[in-house]
Amino acid sequence: MAYIRFEKINKLFGTNHVLKDIDLDVEKGQLVTLLGPSGCGKSTLLRCLAGLEQVTDGHIYLDGQEITDVVPRRRGIGMVFQQYSLFPNMNVRDNVAYGLKLKKLPKAEINQKVEQMLDIVGLSEKISQYPAQLSGGQQQRVALARAMVTAPKVLLLDEPLSAIDALLRKNLQIEIRRIQQQLGITTIFVTHDQDEAMVMSDMIHLFHDGKIEQSGTPEQIYTRPATKFAATFIGNYNLPAAADFNRAFHADIPGQDVAVRPEIITLGKQAPQAADGLLIAEGKITSHISHGNLIRFAVGFDGGLTLNADVVYENKLDFGEGDRVFAAMKKDLVIGL
Amino acid sequence: MEHKKMKLMTSRNTRYYYLLALLPFVFLVVMYELLPLIMLVVDSFGLDKKPDVRFSLENYQKIFTTLSYQRAIENSLKITLISTVVGIVIAFLGARAAYTSRGKFRSVFLTVLNMTSNFAGVPLAFAYMIILGNAGVVKQIANMYGIGFLQNFDLYTSKGLTMMYIYFQIPLSTLLLIPAFNGIRQEWNEANMLLGGTNAHFWLHVGIPVLLPSLFSTLSVLFANALCAYATAYALLMNNFSLLPVNISASFVGDIKTKPKLGAALSVVMMLIMCVVILINNFITKKTTKWESR
Amino acid sequence: MRKGSKVSSNIIMTLVIVWLLIPLLATIIYSLFEDWTGIIPRGFTLANYQKIFTDTAFLTSMYQTLLVCVIPIVITILVVLLGLFVVTVYFPKLEKYMQILCMIPYTIQGVILSVSILILYAKGNTLLSGRMTMLIGAYCIIILPHIYNGIRNGMRAINMNMLLEAAEMLGESKLKAFFKVIVPNILTGITVSSLLAVGLLFGDYVIIRNLSSSNVNNMQKFLYQAMKRSSAEASAVFVVIMLITFAITAIVLTLQSRSTLEKIRNGGK
Repeated sequence: MAYIRFEKINKLFGTNHVLKDIDLDVEKGQLVTLLGPSGCGKSTLLRCLAGLEQVTDGHIYLDGQEITDVVPRRRGIGMVFQQYSLFPNMNVRDNVAYGLKLKKLPKAEINQKVEQMLDIVGLSEKISQYPAQLSGGQQQRVALARAMVTAPKVLLLDEPLSAIDALLRKNLQIEIRRIQQQLGITTIFVTHDQDEAMVMSDMIHLFHDGKIEQSGTPEQIYTRPATKFAATFIGNYNLPAAADFNRAFHADIPGQDVAVRPEIITLGKQAPQAADGLLIAEGKITSHISHGNLIRFAVGFDGGLTLNADVVYENKLDFGEGDRVFAAMKKDLVIGL
Repeated sequence: MEHKKMKLMTSRNTRYYYLLALLPFVFLVVMYELLPLIMLVVDSFGLDKKPDVRFSLENYQKIFTTLSYQRAIENSLKITLISTVVGIVIAFLGARAAYTSRGKFRSVFLTVLNMTSNFAGVPLAFAYMIILGNAGVVKQIANMYGIGFLQNFDLYTSKGLTMMYIYFQIPLSTLLLIPAFNGIRQEWNEANMLLGGTNAHFWLHVGIPVLLPSLFSTLSVLFANALCAYATAYALLMNNFSLLPVNISASFVGDIKTKPKLGAALSVVMMLIMCVVILINNFITKKTTKWESR
Repeated sequence: MRKGSKVSSNIIMTLVIVWLLIPLLATIIYSLFEDWTGIIPRGFTLANYQKIFTDTAFLTSMYQTLLVCVIPIVITILVVLLGLFVVTVYFPKLEKYMQILCMIPYTIQGVILSVSILILYAKGNTLLSGRMTMLIGAYCIIILPHIYNGIRNGMRAINMNMLLEAAEMLGESKLKAFFKVIVPNILTGITVSSLLAVGLLFGDYVIIRNLSSSNVNNMQKFLYQAMKRSSAEASAVFVVIMLITFAITAIVLTLQSRSTLEKIRNGGK
């Protein structure tokens, strides 16, 4: 059996059905992300695993034992919350030592473990400061240290970076991933930020409306969205109706809609050589937006079809508005939904 | 540049005209707050029997050596402390209950607290006389059914007075503590639970330490509230029970011969007690809020 | 575990509610019946109320209560508004002294304040020694902390200096702008704090007893005298006092919840 197993989990708040028949396995040592928009049930599933919410129906197993009805403090789970979870009346050392003191470890051992863990999260010099004296990012690193120092079986991260500004967030994503791999700790990470999920995860489970929409590695999720929702939520997919797309590109993609990533489309002033499995159509540039490293061109085709195409920006714009261009893409990268 | 300078000059000159608008405030505060207090202190060193004596410590000496004044200080401190401590304990439980519950019942609770927060003094004493006085309703029912402890309960004692003081402390202190409880974040208890702590651990290590500053400032408000309360005691027992505020008032206004200078000294003693409490409170606040510093 | 704590919360709240309401309800029932010596009161009557509302002494005390509540509140609001305007706009360094002066009454309270005013003025024979003047002066001081806090919190909440500068750029003088722009904006805060002050003055017994002559009675003083005469009559006075107190509290609570609602709505925009 998997290290963590959710079996037919249902959760209702009153009449609100938040989790619907969730089945999910997590392997030991992995970092697994629950990704989805707010209100999709991802945080609730995490809190059920922690025991902070009771499941309405279903079973949860951890390390071969059923923990569905075990009280939180006996589950062996560490958790980092969105923010404000540090005890404000204790300094960094006492916050991190809290769980160890409750375990009644000898003082010397506590000190040694606390210092070691603060070293790992890079906050050794803040050991005697109070949470109010730390920045948001530092507070979250202390929270991480506090959650990990008791060597929990699983580490739960509930949108720990959502209250931190963009640049710092990028650094912390990489740092958390590094620490997780260094300690080999099984981790479940909840976020609504797809980039964050891509950077950090071994596995991503995409949540939608109380159900798992799709599971897979970041690459699978990114390149092969299984549903229209997945394609909308991940990346910047073009999602035209299949009929429009097939007419413009003389293709035969099955399904209702077509998902096309902007970066698989190549644009050129001359028509590329026709080849097997290459879809080509002529269109007109209608607008462009600069994303720094990329220029995103909107291209209009006959029949009202519009697609976004990304071009790496080198040193000049290749096309202007109103220019006629040829758009080409490999057929096997186009997904019918 | 030049223009800016001009404007600054004029505004600096007109600025002082605005001090005139401050005059009414200064007048009010000087005439009815500062001067009276200064006169009170000055008078406390005079003597009622010898008007020409300007500075003497006789009044103070008398207060601390005469049994009846010692009794007044003692009674005041005792009733104040008991009602304050009992009040804060009930307020803690009540505010915690309001913090953990939601919905209708909670708002009923808050409404009752707000409604009764002004219920003190003469009306309170009167209501207690109606239910627990010598011919009180509860008393008569107790007599009818032979409920011993109620039959023997005498409202017109320090016990009865303490009970009323506790009554008026409860709404005040609970209303003061509820906002402090709302500052306790749920994440703290959740983190505590996951780190292996029980509810008791949480309150011992986090909840109460975080509340401590609010608890102490509430304590000092309650202390002042009880120490200075006059009407409740006077309405119940008139001048027959020795309490600082009652004795002070009686030395200025009343049928028996007044002793305003001695009363002034008693007032100064009462203010000093208040000052000590405030100083202790400030000291403790500083000690218990070092973690709030930025 | 969580359920258990909920049950105990409800028990505690119930006990406190019962404890707080018993004296009130008992006195209300007492005022409405002729005889209450058994468990069940007998002989419903409104005679007690009829009696007090036809008693000119009672009606006078109501009128005088209103008078001695309203005058000091109006004076204090004006004085503090002017003072705070000048201090925050022109002399911010004086702010902390003003605050200290306004907070002193918290610690001296009624007894000491009334006797010290008595010491200073009782012997003279100027206008300042008038009983009414002393009373109003003392009342102004006793409500000073509440009025001050109410107005200052209001000013803080609306970023006064910015609003004043904006009005000044439109050609208003600062003082005019203050009364035209700032005061209307903090009106709810002023109303709430003056109602709290009404509650405070309405419940005063010691100051009026020590300072006023025997012909000035507020309702508390009237209650005290009535309860020496007849507890039936006094119980009706009690109920009237309580109803007025509750009405004041109810208005304060509605105003406060409405202003928080407004804040939430404005924040949402």
